[in-house]
Amino acid sequence: MESSSTIARKTWELENNILTVKPPADSSSDNIFHYDGAAHAKVLKEKPWATDPNYFKRVQISALALLKMVVHARSGGTIEIMGLMQGKTDGDTIIVMDAFALPVEGTETRVNAQADAYEYMVEYSQTNKLAGRLENVVGWYHSHPGYGCWLSGIDVSTQMLNQQYQEPFLAVVIDPTRTISAGKVDIGAFRTYPEWHKISDDHVSEYQTIPLNKIEDFGVHCKQYYSLEITYFKSSLDSHLLDLLWNKYWVNTLSSSPLLGNGDYVAGQISDLAEKLDQAESQLVQSWFGGQKASRHKKKKDELPLAKITRDSAKITIEQVHGLMSQVIKDILFNSARQSDKTPSDPTDPEPMITS
Amino acid sequence: MAPSSSSGLTFKLHPLVMLNISDHFTRVKTQLNPPSSSCAAGNTPAAVAATFPQSFRVYGCVIGAQRGRTVEIFNSFELVFDPTTDSLDRAFLEKKQELYQKVFPGFYILGWYSTGSEANESDMHIHKALMDINESPVYVVLNPAINHAQKDLPVTIYESEFHVIDGIPQSIFVDASYTIETVEAERISVDHVAHLKPSDGGSAATQLAAHLTGIHSAIKMLNSRIRVLFQYLVAMQKGDIPCDNSLLRQAAGLLRSLPAAHSEKFNDNFLMEYNDKLLMSYLAMITNCTSNMNEVVDKVKTAYAKKSRTGGSRIPFM
Repeated sequence: MESSSTIARKTWELENNILTVKPPADSSSDNIFHYDGAAHAKVLKEKPWATDPNYFKRVQISALALLKMVVHARSGGTIEIMGLMQGKTDGDTIIVMDAFALPVEGTETRVNAQADAYEYMVEYSQTNKLAGRLENVVGWYHSHPGYGCWLSGIDVSTQMLNQQYQEPFLAVVIDPTRTISAGKVDIGAFRTYPEWHKISDDHVSEYQTIPLNKIEDFGVHCKQYYSLEITYFKSSLDSHLLDLLWNKYWVNTLSSSPLLGNGDYVAGQISDLAEKLDQAESQLVQSWFGGQKASRHKKKKDELPLAKITRDSAKITIEQVHGLMSQVIKDILFNSARQSDKTPSDPTDPEPMITS
Repeated sequence: MAPSSSSGLTFKLHPLVMLNISDHFTRVKTQLNPPSSSCAAGNTPAAVAATFPQSFRVYGCVIGAQRGRTVEIFNSFELVFDPTTDSLDRAFLEKKQELYQKVFPGFYILGWYSTGSEANESDMHIHKALMDINESPVYVVLNPAINHAQKDLPVTIYESEFHVIDGIPQSIFVDASYTIETVEAERISVDHVAHLKPSDGGSAATQLAAHLTGIHSAIKMLNSRIRVLFQYLVAMQKGDIPCDNSLLRQAAGLLRSLPAAHSEKFNDNFLMEYNDKLLMSYLAMITNCTSNMNEVVDKVKTAYAKKSRTGGSRIPFM
């Protein structure tokens, strides 16, 4: 019982050359939870981020904050939700200890809505301080259900405002729909550049699938912010609880059916892909007749739209095939019980039915 | 110490509540025991536990929804304990409840929580104080001691019931059983943090391996549980263990419910879904091939550019 979770964990630790920030499993690792008011006040006075726009490079999110944000984002369905995060800074890392939801819905007028939410935020922070949570608000998070983790135009202007008056501040975006479809958390942490800072044109950011109707908004603003690396941490008690939780959890893992829950989203993705294909086709036709010069001047890093589409389609398909695999496995496990001593077919073979 | 509950309510607990309580406890612990003052080297957990009074407790409130006989505990928040009156700060509770009502309109106060090893008689005092908000509050206790030999979650849920003890009707705490309930998003994020999955996509191979390993571990658990049951039944058959008819009935019912879904309609639906996914992968492969071919054509075009420029006709190649 314990060995299966240890094996799973060890496999991940092997594959995981990126995530090296893992606190040792003793009580001193819980130091991260300690709030040092004096040190915090000192850092606030120094303001090292004012001179270096790229100052903050990493984000550490606690297990609790992540869980709260993802659950809140999912509970909003297709409506964008938002909330605030509390924590502290540590050198060039922003540490997010907790998050709480705000009673506003994300609309086009989000900048105004934030004024409404201030009252809630002030009251909440006050009560929290009484109950023993001493950290300050260190960022905000909101969700982009189904269209990826990036900052839209309004998000960028909100964040720039925040970074002027409420430093240090972080923006986090979560996509709950993609989280469920892909089986892993889709989250991004960003900070905007102040207006006087221009990044070089061949700055390559990680590629994301963005639906057509949002791609303009993404493209216009994508150079105004940068993303930070996210790692997670948990306390020793958290680790212990999570380990034990696996003993009850495996039922849910086996019974989860991502295919059934996300039908709408997948259909949307496919139709979006079809539109992009149309666009790419017309573009190719134009460039063919427009002359071959265009293709030679293209920068090496720029990908053909067709290649991007191929990547998107591969991603969608992989997710679907994963879901299908789970279904087939479940079918073999639970539907092929027979009284006879007929040997069941080879489980590695994706045969859907075993006819008697 | 506490007998089991007879109220017939089913309790469902979300993992978020457990993480909340654990976080609350860890925070207060590190504030009371700041890292600078704790002795530096060789600080084993046992030593810390000995020097540090484990008698402090944290308190809070659990909220959720009750539908019929099912009580589902979704979330929780901290409360302030007033040691003078030995009860929870009422005004604070109401203020916090108001705030949470705004964000989670469907949830009500279901009870309270505390850390410790089990419910004490003194807790009944606090429990009764909450009875005016909810006639039958629940009391969740989390045991913060980390015991690696333990296989079960250190969380117990208590209800209060009136029992006649020594001729005097008193309310005492009774144990209630609970199940862990989760939504898909919660499961994924808990999985993510528990196993520290690779943060970005990685290659397709790692993604596939991640997915299959998860399912593999779940199946292993299922297998081990079935084995335990099997050995128990074999022992019963041999006569080592007295026959337990209710258990036998449950096992027979379980076996009879397999195969889980075997109707015509299910088979049709399943095959249709299967074909849909195959079609998708086929389309993706075609797209991939088209893109590759496009690149080849471009390269050929560039390589033989001179020829086509001096040549005459342009062959429309679509």
